[in-house]
Amino acid sequence: MKTIAVDLDDVLNNFTETLQQTPFLRDETYALSEEVFQDYLAKVRGGWTESGSLLSTEYSFFRYKIHRRCYERAQARPDGVSFMHWLRQNRWRIAICTYRDLRRAQDCTRKWLADNEIPFDYLFMTGHKIAFCKAWGIEHLIDDEAVNITLGERFGVRVYYPAEKRRPAPPANPVETLCAARAFQTFDEIKAWIQE
Amino acid sequence: MLKEFYRGLPKDRAKLESEEHGFAFLERLLTDGVTLEYGELTSSGLVHKYKLANIPERRMDDLLFAHVEKVCNVCLYFDVSANDTFCFNLDNNHKVNSSAIIPETEAVVRELGGHLRGLGCEPLIVASGRGYHLWGRLEAAVANERLFDFMLRSAATALAAIHRQGHDHHQIKFSFYPDLRVHHVVSLRLFGSRHVKNKVFSRVLGPQGLLDETASWEFFADYLKNRTIALARFQTAHNSLLDLK
Repeated sequence: MKTIAVDLDDVLNNFTETLQQTPFLRDETYALSEEVFQDYLAKVRGGWTESGSLLSTEYSFFRYKIHRRCYERAQARPDGVSFMHWLRQNRWRIAICTYRDLRRAQDCTRKWLADNEIPFDYLFMTGHKIAFCKAWGIEHLIDDEAVNITLGERFGVRVYYPAEKRRPAPPANPVETLCAARAFQTFDEIKAWIQE
Repeated sequence: MLKEFYRGLPKDRAKLESEEHGFAFLERLLTDGVTLEYGELTSSGLVHKYKLANIPERRMDDLLFAHVEKVCNVCLYFDVSANDTFCFNLDNNHKVNSSAIIPETEAVVRELGGHLRGLGCEPLIVASGRGYHLWGRLEAAVANERLFDFMLRSAATALAAIHRQGHDHHQIKFSFYPDLRVHHVVSLRLFGSRHVKNKVFSRVLGPQGLLDETASWEFFADYLKNRTIALARFQTAHNSLLDLK
């Protein structure tokens, strides 16, 4: 059976736009002052990562809460939804493949997929999508992460990414294979590519 | 023994940790009505995790047998309202070398173990990949609200003690099972597992230090037989924490 892995955030939805434009309001569940709340929110929007040595911090918990709200509020791309239905009609096995922490975000992720009538077979979380696709024999990945766009072809995974995502810079090491990932303006373009 | 120790935990769902993967494997796994909520490829080698639901009793027996045989690890979830086991999960909170046992971990496991023993609630302390699990087993189920409150107050007591000793409590991370906020999303490896990161057996921490695998199983059997906590004892212990000013 033909299998494809599809990312969610900034691929099937508008996660970053939601993060930047949603007017998040502080409430008592954050247990933060307004000043700290606004500081943390600006840092999350700026993609700031902590340089400290600790795994779990007040900030990392805050970031998860804000991200979760974006998972719930983000809008699905209409052409993405249509494409997923096309995959289903053409008997593709569909694996949703995300960096999200599905231990905590599974429920809201499934609800979002159901609310948007997006068909899929399996949900997977991993920080190593190319390794996942390689291990599971998945040849096609739709994803926006630069490292996956750059390295997919080298490991036998054909990667397709939204054109609004800037193409990654060529690798500094000339031994690296050329980036053969394809940028798409609309999901319709992918239909032909995955049938080549 | 595993089924008896964890008798109160739901057996129709589990998280499975295995090196096996691929759609052929998954399709074999998802038979007899078993469903996959989500899968995960971890950063710890090529270990996959599968959150399974609707597991029939016979299939759970098979999984537990595979767990004892170290073919895979089985992690169970807690009941959403009441449980007869509870567990403090104490982890090293560092991004690197998180498997190392740091002084703060040693200090807090010593303080918390002593605190619980002082209350008459002897814990079963098991080494995990990043620290320790301190299990308590009760003779009957207690409401999650009460278990959580007991654990929160006990952990605070232990953290206050290490703070007074000059340790930084941010170096370690406590999780409580069952946790009222996330009881349906977090699971714990059962005793007898081999940790996915360091491949080390979940050895029991005895009075003289970590026991080997055989001695750990003997300690586990003895704990199950002789150190299950009476309900009256637990209630007295919790009440004594509520009386603290």
